Amino acid sequence: MGDLIAKARAQGRALSLSPEAFHKLSALVTLLILIFVFALSSPAFLSINNGLTVLLQTSVIGLLGIGMTMVIITGGIDLSVGSVLALSGTVTGLLVQAGVPVLPAMLAGIAVGALCGLVNGFVITKMRITPFVATLGMMLIARGIALQLTGAAPISRLGEAFGILGNGALFRIVEMRENGFPRVVFPGIPYPAILLLIVAIAAAYLLRRRQIGRHIYATGSNEEAARLSGVVVDRTKMIAYALSGALAGLSGMVLMSRLVTVQPNEGVMYELDAIAAAVIGGASLMGGVGNISGTMIGAFIIGILRNGLNMAGVSSFIQQIVIGVVVILAVYVDQLRSRR
Amino acid sequence: MALDAPQIQPLVEMKAIEKHFGGVEAVKSVSVDLYPGEVVGVLGHNGAGKSCLMRILSGAMMPNGGEIHVAGQKSDITSPHDARDLGIETIYQTLALADHLDAPANLFLGRELKTRFGNLDDRRMLREAQEVLRRLNPNFKNLGDPVSSLSGGQRQVIAIARAIYFDVKILIMDEPTAALGPSETAMVADLIRQLQSEGIGIFLVSHDMHDVFDLCDRVVVMNKGRNVGAFKIEDVTKDDVLSLIIKGELPDDWAPRNLETAR
Repeated sequence: MGDLIAKARAQGRALSLSPEAFHKLSALVTLLILIFVFALSSPAFLSINNGLTVLLQTSVIGLLGIGMTMVIITGGIDLSVGSVLALSGTVTGLLVQAGVPVLPAMLAGIAVGALCGLVNGFVITKMRITPFVATLGMMLIARGIALQLTGAAPISRLGEAFGILGNGALFRIVEMRENGFPRVVFPGIPYPAILLLIVAIAAAYLLRRRQIGRHIYATGSNEEAARLSGVVVDRTKMIAYALSGALAGLSGMVLMSRLVTVQPNEGVMYELDAIAAAVIGGASLMGGVGNISGTMIGAFIIGILRNGLNMAGVSSFIQQIVIGVVVILAVYVDQLRSRR
Repeated sequence: MALDAPQIQPLVEMKAIEKHFGGVEAVKSVSVDLYPGEVVGVLGHNGAGKSCLMRILSGAMMPNGGEIHVAGQKSDITSPHDARDLGIETIYQTLALADHLDAPANLFLGRELKTRFGNLDDRRMLREAQEVLRRLNPNFKNLGDPVSSLSGGQRQVIAIARAIYFDVKILIMDEPTAALGPSETAMVADLIRQLQSEGIGIFLVSHDMHDVFDLCDRVVVMNKGRNVGAFKIEDVTKDDVLSLIIKGELPDDWAPRNLETAR
């Protein structure tokens, strides 16, 4: 193993890869190996249907991971995303139940998420509470509000329209057979996957091509230097946390819509998956490092691990162990590359 | 140079600046001024308040009292941004670079060049950075690398370039040569003289007596938060200045000694 890594590092140097590219490549190779191994162990793994299932399952981790990546690049962390996801979903569910049309209700849910993020940012920048503690507080607050609003009971019977975002698909082809039963020729690309793609591209654009993105990196890299250079550090952080909150809200919409039920208990521990995705993708909790494409690879590594282990009949307890080991290994490889 | 002739307006006047942290008075009623084309050395022990004073001018710190006049106008400098808008640029001792970003990104940090659509104009920033960095150090390459992988001298060059690229009128240099080798130090000295000839005023914070006597027109010495003396460089010797730095007063037998050179 050590040999392998040393060899890979030597090759990386020979190809004069930047450390970041090297990390991304190693994550990508890991992803391909996973796909290969699971394909061998279960014939159903490599089917179109399962591929789409993976896309669907990964979209929630991916959306959370994108927001988490921005926050982690600023040198912070957002532990509240799982709870904010639940609160946003709850608000939307209650609004739909009260007769508000689905789209405005969902937008309101996302706005609630963004508001939670803004509060996080405010507590961190103005009250000078560390991100870990501030977002831990928000994690409890948002979850508590969601449970209080619903009495901890799920909200169901939200109507067909509420389920479109999570269950609909683009290019779905269904043909009617002679016996009168429909046959699905191609199940279509699920809307959540399309949404993930759009958000990922937008976030990558924001981080790479816009001033705010540059300021997010600068803030995480050296906060004092950024401040002295005229970067409004507080505003930059607020925006990062608000975006993370809004994306948590959005993933809440996707998740609850998929179940066509609002569960105030949904999304527990999702923040850890999101952090794991970002870290596997090369983001550094010290700040200043990370990118969206890496996080996407990280999210898919987690998604495919879950899916593949499920199909191979591995218990969810073992899955946790495996994912834990992967996270540690990813960070270990990351440290090796920065030492070379 | 008859710099204190009344018809020339000072670039900066800091009047009766106060700064305290809780009960600790870091700066006690200090006044300094700076004229165009002048290099003023700011000297003192660690903790004498000189960095504090400079940070107040560069907007990194808010004073508790006193006024700052820039080009005759009373100015409220509440952020580094304000200071930069007034043409006050600072080269910090820590360099204040974002290690994970490359040289052009650091050079333009906070003042990014943008395209028509508001996107970052990385190509133009790279081109401009190449130009200004090459002027300071002809063999500056690897502009795409994160600055953490550059040498101390290269990092210093980026910090200097960042200060002079924009329309600088008042330059604060905090220990600009501390991390540099002899040839790079000479480069900085040349640069200071060049900027001086362009009418830029420079505050030079330094511990290096040699630099100070080489480059400065005047010295301001701080001791325990007070301004204990401001002299034309011709009027004092290194010993006088050292006495001011250490004791806070001039030697007992002191009298202005024009053009008497230091040992």
